[in-house]
Amino acid sequence: MALRLTVQVQLVLQALLGDPAREMYGLELSEETGLQPGTAYPILLRLEHEGWVASRWEDIDPRAEKRPARRYYRLTAEGAAAASAALSGARRPKGTALRRLAAEGGTE
Amino acid sequence: MRPRTPSQWVKVLASAGMWIAMAVAVLQASVSASRPWAASACTMAFAVISSAAALISHLGSRHKGGGLSGPGRDDEDGPAGEAPHRWHTLAVVSRLMPASAGRRWLAEAESLLAETTAARRGAAVRSYLLSAPRLAAMMWARQALRRAQPGPRRPG
Repeated sequence: MALRLTVQVQLVLQALLGDPAREMYGLELSEETGLQPGTAYPILLRLEHEGWVASRWEDIDPRAEKRPARRYYRLTAEGAAAASAALSGARRPKGTALRRLAAEGGTE
Repeated sequence: MRPRTPSQWVKVLASAGMWIAMAVAVLQASVSASRPWAASACTMAFAVISSAAALISHLGSRHKGGGLSGPGRDDEDGPAGEAPHRWHTLAVVSRLMPASAGRRWLAEAESLLAETTAARRGAAVRSYLLSAPRLAAMMWARQALRRAQPGPRRPG
């Protein structure tokens, strides 16, 4: 299944490409992109199924940390290359479109 | 908990009957070689029906307990008693998805909602609930495709 490069997908890829080696968790990604978590999650799942993104559960003791474990996402080497290529070829979302998306929570 | 009133017994027996019927339908469909997609279709139909029934039943009653009981970053000003209700709704909706996908979706939602601010939590829950049907359809389609394809199966 080919990945549709919607504005929301571009936002997620841009956030992950900021530092491809860095792992980001859902809330962090949601804050960075301005997308609601319910919108970002299916995108991350699609990217993971395409092999662009890898994910793992954080290895912590939730009682000690007093919070549930986070799911961390990062671009794979293949994903970073594919994302860069796809973003360079994609039509850049305009500033107004991005602001409207952020205000609406980026519902796809 | 043991049912106390006749109406509670009816609910329990109806629920047990539904699960038995579902198991029989799925077993029958899975042994039918001419229709390999039938098992997935039956499971999905029953998951949708049971989730809808549970959601309707939940909306008509008040539940306490459940997850998301931990405080958020600024939970002091959040509405009291909302977290278990939200978790229960998400848990019911997660049943629309294949089991492993539903568990992961719920765990991830719980993890994120535990850390988000109380002011933004309602919108986050709404976004999870709004995207759930499409996500469920995507996950079931993916699972059906995986079952239809020969070769080793991947979990989740």
